[in-house]
Amino acid sequence: MDTHVANQSEQADAADGTTTQRSTVLESFSYDDGIVRLFATATIVWALVGTLAGLFVALLLVMPTLTEGIPWLSFGRLRPLHTNAAIFAFAGNAIFAAVYYSTQRLCKARMWSDTLSRLHFWGWQAIIVAAAVTLPLGITQSREYAELEWPIDIAIAVVWLLIFGGNFLMTLINRRERHMYVALWFYIATIVTVAVLHVFNNLVVPAGLFKGYSVYAGVQDAFMQWWYGHNAVAFFLTTPFLGLMYYFLPKAADRPVFSYRLSIIHFWSLVFIYIWAGPHHLHYTALPEWASTLGMLFSLMLWMPSWGGMINGLLTLRGAWHKVAADPVLKFFVVGVTFYGMSTFEGPMLSIKSVNSLSHYTDWTIAHVHSGALGWNGFMAFGMLYWLLPRIFQTKIWSDKLVSLHFWTGTLGILLYIVPIYAAGLMQGLMWRAMDETGNLQYPDFIETVQSIVPLWWVRVLGGALYVGGIVMLCINALFTWFGRPDSYDVPVYSAPRLTDDYQDEPKPKSDLDDVPMLDSAKSLSVWARMGWHRRWERLPVKFTVLTTLAVVIATLFELVPTFLIRSNVPTIATVKPYTPLELAGRHIFVSEGCYNCHSQMIRPIVAETKRYGEYSKPGEFIYDRPFQWGSRRIGPDLAREGGRQSSFWHWRHFENPAYVSPGSVMPSYEHLLTEEMNFDAIAPHVKAAWQLGAPYSDEDLNNTAEVAYKQAERIAAEIVAQGGPASTMDTQAVALIAYLQRIGIDLFATPEPEAAENGGDAAAETAVESEDAASETEADDETE
Amino acid sequence: MSEAPKTDHAYDGIEEYDNPLPGWWKWLFIASIVFSPFYWVYYHNGAKGRSIEDQYGVALAENTRLQFAEIGDLKVDGPTIAKFMAKDSWVKVGESVFRANCVSCHGREGEGKVGPNLTDEAFKNITVLADIGKVINNGAGNGAMPKWSNRLHINEIVLVSAYVANLRGKNVEGGRPEEGNKIAPWPEPVAEEESGEEGDAKS
Repeated sequence: MDTHVANQSEQADAADGTTTQRSTVLESFSYDDGIVRLFATATIVWALVGTLAGLFVALLLVMPTLTEGIPWLSFGRLRPLHTNAAIFAFAGNAIFAAVYYSTQRLCKARMWSDTLSRLHFWGWQAIIVAAAVTLPLGITQSREYAELEWPIDIAIAVVWLLIFGGNFLMTLINRRERHMYVALWFYIATIVTVAVLHVFNNLVVPAGLFKGYSVYAGVQDAFMQWWYGHNAVAFFLTTPFLGLMYYFLPKAADRPVFSYRLSIIHFWSLVFIYIWAGPHHLHYTALPEWASTLGMLFSLMLWMPSWGGMINGLLTLRGAWHKVAADPVLKFFVVGVTFYGMSTFEGPMLSIKSVNSLSHYTDWTIAHVHSGALGWNGFMAFGMLYWLLPRIFQTKIWSDKLVSLHFWTGTLGILLYIVPIYAAGLMQGLMWRAMDETGNLQYPDFIETVQSIVPLWWVRVLGGALYVGGIVMLCINALFTWFGRPDSYDVPVYSAPRLTDDYQDEPKPKSDLDDVPMLDSAKSLSVWARMGWHRRWERLPVKFTVLTTLAVVIATLFELVPTFLIRSNVPTIATVKPYTPLELAGRHIFVSEGCYNCHSQMIRPIVAETKRYGEYSKPGEFIYDRPFQWGSRRIGPDLAREGGRQSSFWHWRHFENPAYVSPGSVMPSYEHLLTEEMNFDAIAPHVKAAWQLGAPYSDEDLNNTAEVAYKQAERIAAEIVAQGGPASTMDTQAVALIAYLQRIGIDLFATPEPEAAENGGDAAAETAVESEDAASETEADDETE
Repeated sequence: MSEAPKTDHAYDGIEEYDNPLPGWWKWLFIASIVFSPFYWVYYHNGAKGRSIEDQYGVALAENTRLQFAEIGDLKVDGPTIAKFMAKDSWVKVGESVFRANCVSCHGREGEGKVGPNLTDEAFKNITVLADIGKVINNGAGNGAMPKWSNRLHINEIVLVSAYVANLRGKNVEGGRPEEGNKIAPWPEPVAEEESGEEGDAKS
């Protein structure tokens, strides 16, 4: 194998030599495969952990009482653990294994620094462990796929950009291969863009070591988060895996890549267009409509650039299909690329507003991401691992049969996962919007719509279990392959000439049309289409990196600047006031418990929705929401108008045992909130952070925070007693959370106070509750007009 | 197998063909780009009725017409509630409102959970029929019963009142024990011209 590689490189050198200057000194080098072994092992371990976490949360949905009473095992806290483990631990380590293996070979150079490589590995694993500890403890920003709090975020920035990015770029600069192959372009785009996304989405004002308040609020916060969230999928789960595909698929198939020109066009269009598409996660929300339209249109334009990757993958296998039938590695790749094609067709389709109005908040989204994650990311990673294992451990794979079995089990698992979940999404979406002939909701009871999909959730558990079973086979196979490794690894030494400075580009290609009588501009266009200009860029890594960064940043600024600068995007509502200290503390609990994982706070202007939940949400209602809590999935009902909808005592009973007041509810018990004490002295930093970010608070609120909060807690406790509940509840966390819940969405209906003295938030909140009706009547009338 | 020319590129043994862009791919890509400005201009040129908010306004007006054109805006008082108690199809609308908003406290059948049993003969805040509408409108019991005046259409309040009034005396099994006072029976429904369609009010 190794000699084969060496021969080929030499051939490549010879080919180079004819066009380049006579080569100078030959340099000897070897590749660092130790780092690949580390990352490949971590990939396998985290694949098991991440999918097991997924299986566990899937079980919690069908058996909500499974972990009764254990706060750190609740769905709200563990679902982010599952997504983070799957994305950043499993897919992340797979990317790194791919990058470290292929970059060295594509550059004919060892990684620039072995130390940085190791720091990268151990730093990343430490970050994953930190995530696995903090998320179950409820330390979270509640921004999907960016849940980790600011100290961990800083570590990510350092490890990703400085250590990994620095090491990678220096390797490119010190390469011995004149031109950079397309896989490397995708790696560059990945590193640069993830760094930009990560930094700008996580800007916070700290309120202690474990809590940061986003510098953005409400609509802008939502915009930033989904700019990040969407592009995390794009640049963490798409571009690096395309890079992986471009290296490992032609290697495994031993076939040339289908089209060089297609790779150029689809790379640049993908990078430039992807970044605009984020707002399609916020259709029909309080996000300005122009942004939502941009999100949709760029998503449609993204369809073909995405499929460019699929075409280049599948058509590379032309003439090698007989190998696919025999080689499980290629089978994994074919299914992976096919799922990529399906997901990237479905993505643009889901971004069409009218389709999205049905799919949003349902399991359809969950099915969509899992066809991408299990099919595309999972199977590409497995294909790569099975190709790598014999090479990095320098022995035969332990069992070929087990590889095949993994393939079939995994494929069946994916189908059993996504098919019922597609059905569940479609069903629940249709039930939510169904109206009878009298113009009323056909399924007014939310729980009815949940109960009807529970059987499908059970099938999902089965599909997930099969998929995890496949990963167990991978673990066994990897372990026994590792047992068969040689006593010491053979480290072949290669040699190649160093790159010279006086390189002459290939001559401009001739136009095919030279002999045809036509306009010169058409001829130069045909020359341009031969991509000679791009060939030049491919030997200039720094310029290439800068251009990629520009493509991403410019596209971002086009959307971002207007969102932040145009005032009419968020019309002011005079009656919207900051949360009181106690409500802010309650909101913190809401965030920590991960309530947003099941409850949205965003009512869309759709009749079936306003009938169910109340007046639709307005942009001006969220100006003090840091972070925004709009949510993305309604496993439970929307809470945007929850304030005043239930009695405080009802909430108390509901936390204690949701199924008591809502038979059939899949919400777990939050009994621990009824007993855990509220630390009133810890509220002050939260109020201070909100105040620093511009929320007006009185001196009393700022300096006497604990006392102000305690007074409100006493009022709510008194309410609970008057409503027939238990006495002395004021010291509990539940009361703070109830204070917050009773405040959500009521300011819109408050009558403006006539020049009231600035005596703190609670007074304002109370007036708001008192005077809701009048305002809402006129509001409703306006709508009917 | 038609062989397009290969480029002279080779990276770690990986070669590349110089195939042109597939035609269908190129044209679909161009079509998606050309489509966009037209879509944008159509929806964002400021013409009335095309924004999501405008469309919602139209849909809501349509829905309100569908529901209530026949009865207009009702008044929340005893005679009106009594009148609708006897109208089966309208009580069904009330039931839909009840199931959307009331079951979490009063139970699916009105048997009572955190809130009182509505199917027995005892009432806490109600002495006459009109009080049902008042309690729903304004709330009661220090917020134990929230007020619904800003959440429900006035007709919905009348209709859900009628539905709730009809629950009385059903004595659903396993309900909350009686609370409050026994009160006089509801007035007999006013014999009206449509009383023929009265049907089974208990459905």
